[in-house]
Amino acid sequence: MKTFELLDAAGSAAPPRSNGELVFDAPWQQRAFGITMAVIDSGTTTWKDFRLQLISRVAEDDARPYWESWAAALEDVVTSAAMLTSAEIDRHEDALAQREAGHDHRRRE
Amino acid sequence: MSAEHSGIAARVEALEGLLAQKGLIDVESVDRLIDHFTSDVGPLNGAKVIARAWVDAAFKQRLLDDGTKAVAEFGFGGPEGACLVTVENTPTVHNVVVCTLCSCYPWTVLGLPPGWYKSSAYRSRLVAQPRAVLREMGLDIQPEVIVRVWDSSAEARYFVLPMRPAGTAGMGEAELASLVTRDAMIGVARVEGPVA
Repeated sequence: MKTFELLDAAGSAAPPRSNGELVFDAPWQQRAFGITMAVIDSGTTTWKDFRLQLISRVAEDDARPYWESWAAALEDVVTSAAMLTSAEIDRHEDALAQREAGHDHRRRE
Repeated sequence: MSAEHSGIAARVEALEGLLAQKGLIDVESVDRLIDHFTSDVGPLNGAKVIARAWVDAAFKQRLLDDGTKAVAEFGFGGPEGACLVTVENTPTVHNVVVCTLCSCYPWTVLGLPPGWYKSSAYRSRLVAQPRAVLREMGLDIQPEVIVRVWDSSAEARYFVLPMRPAGTAGMGEAELASLVTRDAMIGVARVEGPVA
């Protein structure tokens, strides 16, 4: 079965769609989606595992926006597959924040 | 982190950067996958409609008679689906859709239009030189086949019913639908049979 057929599933794990098109409100949502598909494509994790994490993240906080749960589930599968550790991600995020202060126009809040 | 969006954007960027740095993913494949899922999955609605028309002659007739009403059987509708007109490809006629004035497009069945559909090059040249434009897009139409160009408008949004490819006799609707692409339903590509 192709990955997009799996994605077509209904229920809390199915990404929001409009007229059959995946709906992204911000570029990071699209990146999170693409990274997830790339990680699945690489064989390190499976759609099934990711979907289970996503379902549990969605269930954990019903009010949280869908793609935020998606990003959390992505971090879950990446860390549980031992691809990265949370501490590593923290450090890299800090490093990016340092760089960005001088390199682009993103407003830090 | 859920409290602020910029925090999540940075977190996702950090994840992607680290995974790429370690060679666990490459950024180009992320781009390619995003493109794949936003362009090939959106038109899944249309693909389901086409597959049904291929296996169910009565449905096909309803689709050709009144596209809007026929796709409503799938629950596809809304204001953008008004006046959906289905044009059928045959061994002697090839149909292709454009909107010369803007970017009218059958959203209900195809999702959002691709960038090239909105380009002035496609809009202005397709009517004058359909065979040349199609050839540039990788589709050679035999000289004996008539090419019909349909100009979409707010009144009529055209949608191509491609020919069912050979080698698909035993396939069910879901499998057939997976063969149908957005470009084939615009008329700039054929539906290819299953890869051996």
